[in-house]
Parts: sequence; structure tokens; C-alpha cells
Amino acid sequence: MTAVLESIYRGITYRGNEGHWAWILHRVSGLGIALFLSLHIVSIFLVGIGPKAYGWVHATLYVSPPAKILEVFLIFGVLYHAANGMRIIIIDFFPALGKYQRLIVRIELVIVILVFIPAAIITLASLF
Amino acid sequence: MGVVTSPNVKRKYGAPSFERYSWFFMRISGLIMFLAVTFHLLYMHMVVKVENITFENIVERWNGPYGLLWKAFDLSLLLLGMLHGYNGVRWSINDYIHHKGWNLALRILLYILAGILITAGLAVLINGPGDLR
Repeated sequence: MTAVLESIYRGITYRGNEGHWAWILHRVSGLGIALFLSLHIVSIFLVGIGPKAYGWVHATLYVSPPAKILEVFLIFGVLYHAANGMRIIIIDFFPALGKYQRLIVRIELVIVILVFIPAAIITLASLF
Repeated sequence: MGVVTSPNVKRKYGAPSFERYSWFFMRISGLIMFLAVTFHLLYMHMVVKVENITFENIVERWNGPYGLLWKAFDLSLLLLGMLHGYNGVRWSINDYIHHKGWNLALRILLYILAGILITAGLAVLINGPGDLR
């Protein structure tokens, strides 16, 4: 257990600035999306059971107020994971761009926030 | 990445290995899902809207004129998402759990869970909507 905590601690305290924070966010968002995907598949599996079972999961997991608030986090996670994944692919296949990787992370974050704000407003609007 | 699954095996530099294909798969599946998930989110959240994704709405889509196309699209999301997502969890387990026994135990648990979820997804796509409850 201490070894696990130490590797997590070292993963967090490694001082790699932009690239390091980009990596942490990629991992956290990735694990979060994998968790949601698992619940998502279970919920669609209930469509195979029948309308009552699916209706229940639709009401609790997708349209209830707490679900709407969690959905905002999910949207941020998906947008970030998608944008950062594209950055990783670009730098993997065009290593020369590695010189500008800090700048690219910053540009990426601006793009993510610009898309996230309207998406969050649209999602939360259904609460009011 | 992966202290346990990537030991210093004697392999020629650049020779094919499982982890190399796994790295490449993450890029390719990520690229495809960038487009597929963008479409999925825009369609479900902006065109249909989450409140309207009722049982009847799903039945209409799956059994409608483009039903087979929707099922193929959902199938590709299921397989790409599960393999990409659970390979990411496997990488995380390898990054943090260095104890051989625990590492193997957690990965076996992960593979079983992945098998159950993929089977559940395939089952509903093949059998279609049910009417039990």
C-alpha cells in the first residue's frame, strides 16, 4: 500500500509544469470517462430488459439535477481528453513540434474552455 | 509505462510487441472516437436532447429505416470505447501497482469486468429492446 501511495505521490509532485499537468488531467479525465462508460453500457443494457427498467435509469442517471451537475464534469473531462489526445497524437507523429509543447498545451486549454463554457450553459439550462 | 508488463526483455529495438500495438491502437481509436463521439454528443445532446432519449426514442432509432446503421455506429462506439478506456485503466494499474500478485489480480478483475460489459452491450444490440419490465 505504501508503495502504491508513493508512486501516486511521485506522479503528482514531479515538477514538469505544463506537460505534467496535462498528463495528470488526461489520466484523471480518462479514468472518470471509463467509469461513466461502464455505467452508460449498463444503462443501455436495461433497454434490453424493458421500458420500466430503462425509464428508471434515464430518470436517475441522466435527467435528475445531481446527474446534470455531474454531466458538466463529464463534458469537461471528455472535451479535455479529446483535445489533449489530439495534442499527444500530433506531437507523437511530428516530434519536431515538441519544441513548442508548452505553448501547444496553453492553446489547447483555451480551446477546451471556449467550447466548455457554452456546453456547460446548455447542459445546466435544463435545470432552470 | 508499465513496470510489470514491460520488463527489459531482449527484443530488437522497434520489433513488434503487444505494448507497441497497444500504443498504436490508442492513437487510432482515439482519432476515430474524436469524430464519432463528437457526432454522438452533438446528436444526442443538441438534436435529440437528453430529456427526450426515452425508451420509445431508442426503439424508434434502432428499429427505424436507418436502424442497422445506428446499431453499427453504437457497436463501433462500444468496442472502441471499451478497448481504449479499459486499456487506459490497465496502463494506470501498471503505473501504480508494482506488486506482481496484486497487479495480476487487479488486471484479471478488469478483464472480467470488460468482458461482462462488452457482452452486455453486444446482447442488447443483437436482441434489441426488451419488454420484460
